[in-house]
Amino acid sequence: MNNVQSSGGACHAIREYGGLFARWLVGGLFLYMGLSKALDPVGFLKLVHQYQMVNSPWLLNSIASFLPWFEAFCGLLLLAGVAVRGSALISALMLLPFTVLVLRRALGIAAAEHLPLCAVKFDCGCGTGEVFICRKVVENSFLFLLSCWLVTGPGRRLAARYSLFRQKVEVSLENRELPSQSVPKL
Amino acid sequence: MLAGGAYTAYAAPVRNVLIETLVLAVVGIVLAIAANAVSPRGLELNRDYFPSDRSQRRPNGQTNHVATASATGTNIGGPDLLIAQLSAQGLQLAETAQVTTLFRDPRFAQGLIIFVDARNDEHFQEGHIPGAYQLDHFHPERYIATVLPACQTAEQIVVYCSGGTCDDSLQTAIFLRDAGIPKERLSVYAGGLTEWTSKGLPVETGPRK
Repeated sequence: MNNVQSSGGACHAIREYGGLFARWLVGGLFLYMGLSKALDPVGFLKLVHQYQMVNSPWLLNSIASFLPWFEAFCGLLLLAGVAVRGSALISALMLLPFTVLVLRRALGIAAAEHLPLCAVKFDCGCGTGEVFICRKVVENSFLFLLSCWLVTGPGRRLAARYSLFRQKVEVSLENRELPSQSVPKL
Repeated sequence: MLAGGAYTAYAAPVRNVLIETLVLAVVGIVLAIAANAVSPRGLELNRDYFPSDRSQRRPNGQTNHVATASATGTNIGGPDLLIAQLSAQGLQLAETAQVTTLFRDPRFAQGLIIFVDARNDEHFQEGHIPGAYQLDHFHPERYIATVLPACQTAEQIVVYCSGGTCDDSLQTAIFLRDAGIPKERLSVYAGGLTEWTSKGLPVETGPRK
């Protein structure tokens, strides 16, 4: 039973400290990349234009104007530990289509230039300048997985306000007896 | 009595997470709109910063992008793409030899031949063709009072940017054309400052002298 307790405690510690690390990593990168683009909206506009996703100038300008600030906002929330699950879900929802777009463009370049995919290098609009796309896809995939993991619940440590909602504490009493004084009131 | 096992603490319904996400999305978008509005570098949402796309937009909303840009999703083949776009816009291409001749023409000193640098302040100050005017088409209001009168009196206007994949020169030339400068007077130096400096031609730093 002591082994069960210690392994459970270790898992909990890994989950919480791992979650804190994930929050700070994803949040820090989002804040940095968002601000670097927000401070050069013209540069970001040119990069978004290259993707030729939208035809409407208004829509193109809106994406280039708002997305960096929105990205920085989500990064700040994750860093501070505010509404962690919601901001992690938004981060995941931003990473997924962006990574697909970058990969699609890289495949187009590779086909046009007869290059191996991993030799393709360009400024994808991430806020980090020109990068090899294979590396960028791997990085984004890792961040996406971290974000998805954060949605499941870790990362409460040092969180200013983990959830916008007040939470109920539920106690699992599956086949276990607990000291009566340790049972919390619901 | 056995000591307690694992607590299932802080179980958050999926619904709460989705509502939280929605609230953050709305708040984030509002803040982003406000930030763009107050930022001195903010973009004007209704402005068409890429007028070269205008002639290629079809009624059904799709864009018939020149050359292979849409197929590759990139501006690979930059100079060739620029040349094709110039042709589509009815603008002329200027090669280095022609640009050099214009630079050495006595009419340049008289202001009848002018050069327009389509890059931002930072790149312009780092180095530009001597005597070139600056017109960053992303912020034309800062330069138009100086540049437009000069263009109206000039017989020949050469617009350039960095060269290569840079299409700022094209967008600026279209801006000048739409501002009333006859397109016959406008030409775009596709090689840009990169090619100019590679030929050992003079470069001026700092503001226009």
